Amino acid sequence: MSKGLRILLILLAVAGVFYFFVWDKPHKDMGSARSDSAISANALYQAFDSDETTAQSQYLDKVVEVTGKIRSYEMNTEVQKVILETGDILGGVACELDDLVAPKRTSFQVGEQVTFKGLCTGKLLDVVLVRCVEL
Amino acid sequence: MRFGILLLLTLSLLSTDLVAQKWFTRDGKISFFSEAPLEKIEAENSSGTSVLDAESGRIEFAVLIKGFQFESALMQEHFNENYMDSDKFPKSTFKGYIEDPETILWDQDGEYEVSVKGDLTIHGVTKEVSVPASFSMKEGSLSGNCTFVVAVADYDIKIPKLVRENIAKEVEISVQSDYKIFQ
Repeated sequence: MSKGLRILLILLAVAGVFYFFVWDKPHKDMGSARSDSAISANALYQAFDSDETTAQSQYLDKVVEVTGKIRSYEMNTEVQKVILETGDILGGVACELDDLVAPKRTSFQVGEQVTFKGLCTGKLLDVVLVRCVEL
Repeated sequence: MRFGILLLLTLSLLSTDLVAQKWFTRDGKISFFSEAPLEKIEAENSSGTSVLDAESGRIEFAVLIKGFQFESALMQEHFNENYMDSDKFPKSTFKGYIEDPETILWDQDGEYEVSVKGDLTIHGVTKEVSVPASFSMKEGSLSGNCTFVVAVADYDIKIPKLVRENIAKEVEISVQSDYKIFQ
């Protein structure tokens, strides 16, 4: 094997590795992702409501496991979302279900206690977690 | 006693007066799309919040940048870290008003074309924009649609020379929201 061919093969291998692990890397697998923190919906909401900057540095982009009672939920082709009670009249913790994995179930009951694991994206009216999977 | 009942009646009438109604959503869909010679980029966020005051025509929107979902994980990472600095600027907002709110008959079914004007904040930069929007009222539910184009340079989003061919200079943003009556 000539030296040139060998270099070419090595380059191709590197390109292949780059393609699979960097360029085409998959989204985080939420089913197996380890939670960075576990917290109640009340406490998570309070954290953002009282000091948003600190809460952002603590929770943004992190896998957060949140437990609370269901205030409302919406399950249709457009939205799959469960809102958890926080003790605040307006704001809740909104858990958008992960659309990359089939959810454990799509029927819920208001008032039921649930735990979701998801990526925290911040607070608007609600504290929003995306790509949630139920535990 | 009679006064009390009268007051109650007036209040209940007021609260069903659609013209003076406030509308809101926490499931607003915001997506964007751009097509450059080498790459098509699109992402969607389905947790935009919006409040609309029918009487004054005031409208506000907010969206969390980290909530945009891309098909490619790498693109999503670059979007957050290199272009939008979403740790520093986690939200984008729009605060404005419907320029011609009297066009919309809030208590009647119909499709209405209006113009919405206000301050759009992306990446910490605020610009005044005026965009066409359409609202549709059907059986007491209100939905709004709006598509407009922004130039990334206007919002101080820098695209490195190396990837200039991959990323379009203009991005089309679509907003779709189904409002509920705010109680």
